[in-house]
Amino acid sequence: MMNSMIIGKYVPGDSVIHRMDPRAKLLVIFIYVFIVFLANNSATYAILSVFTFSLVVLSRIPLSFVLKGLKPVIWIVAITFLLHVFMTKEGDVLYQIGSFSIYEGGVKQGVFISLRFLLLIMITTLLTLTTTPIEVTDGVESLLGPLKKVHVPVHELALMMSISLRFIPTLMEETEKIIKAQTARGVDFTGGPFSERIKAIVSLLVPLFISSFKRAEELATAMEARGYRGGEGRTKFRQLVWKWTDTAFLAAVLVLAVVLFALRS
Amino acid sequence: MEETRRKWRALDLTLVGMFAALMAIGANITSWAPFLVIGGVPITLQTFFCVLAGAILGRRLGAVAMTVYMLIGLFGAPVFAQFSGGFGSVVRPTFGFIISFIFAAYVTGWIIERGNGNPSVARFIAATIAGMAINYLIGTNWMYIAYKLWAEAPKGFSYALAWSWMVVPLPKDIILSVIAGIISPRVYMSIRKSASYHQHVA
Repeated sequence: MMNSMIIGKYVPGDSVIHRMDPRAKLLVIFIYVFIVFLANNSATYAILSVFTFSLVVLSRIPLSFVLKGLKPVIWIVAITFLLHVFMTKEGDVLYQIGSFSIYEGGVKQGVFISLRFLLLIMITTLLTLTTTPIEVTDGVESLLGPLKKVHVPVHELALMMSISLRFIPTLMEETEKIIKAQTARGVDFTGGPFSERIKAIVSLLVPLFISSFKRAEELATAMEARGYRGGEGRTKFRQLVWKWTDTAFLAAVLVLAVVLFALRS
Repeated sequence: MEETRRKWRALDLTLVGMFAALMAIGANITSWAPFLVIGGVPITLQTFFCVLAGAILGRRLGAVAMTVYMLIGLFGAPVFAQFSGGFGSVVRPTFGFIISFIFAAYVTGWIIERGNGNPSVARFIAATIAGMAINYLIGTNWMYIAYKLWAEAPKGFSYALAWSWMVVPLPKDIILSVIAGIISPRVYMSIRKSASYHQHVA
């Protein structure tokens, strides 16, 4: 669990998708999120699905991993589907159960909207599976770089995110340690009446806060000692490289947009 | 304008990062402290950390800390409740609650700041209750709009129905807010005593 926190849900690999520049991945997804709404008939949804599944295949990530990403939204998709099936009254009547009737238009609409949802989640899951949070942070920092001109603290935000990602596992360890230390002093972390539980949580929170403040101060001192002066002219440990494949993927999603626009009804 | 141009101190950056990390712990505290599952409901300490972020960092940096928390979650770190994360979280109807922390931290920070450096317990309780109210307000509206927009929910799904779902956890959250309001000053004071954070400001 500790390890999974650092890398997120990243599945290590060396596929074309893994090696893509995070900026290219973000741009592709950004465009995709908009063009998903262009699809409105069987042909456009089919093309969109083929495109999405090709990306999954290219990433060489087992389909089961991608499907696992869909699990948390399966309920909302199911509800959406049922709402449409029961509430949309268009086209021919397919079934009639008592006063309930299911229309062809309802089923179609239900399938389409659910598919839209699933495809969106699938592509974003794919990003999460093939890109570490730190890569995404670097990518976003670079893409939003121009916003520095209007005084959006892009560099600072990215740095704070890196610090946070770096310290989550440390604080998790710390939490465990404090629980053990306080248990040794007689605090009951396993149960007891409500008021005792509240007392127990205070004995965890105060040391946790103090230690994280100490860490923050030490890190800040270390940064200042090394002459940290903000983003200007700062060099990077992790460099982003834009390759021809990145341009290719970007072109592909733009072609997809044109095709969808042409075929939508 | 002056606020945005203010120079960031290294300590601001590290503290904000630390609070965002604490939010991640708070969201899943029950995996270390299983005794916080009370009556089958896992309790998260997010509102609590959110209020303290506003109180200790001030409204501006507190809100920044919550933004950082939201962003690392979106970028794929499993920092949200049940260790979820990733861009897909946006389409979850509950994402509004994560957004609401930003505003809740700002408002609670503002309430605590009115306390002139020595906020009373009552003020902390007022702040946590306000934070919770903002949580509910933004969270529920987001949920409603999410169902309405993305799921294109038909007419049967009304605004009142969305709110009626929120009535169930409401008493629990009010009690927790009051408790958070009682605990927060202790943590707040212990930080004030130990850390040199505020000495830099003064």
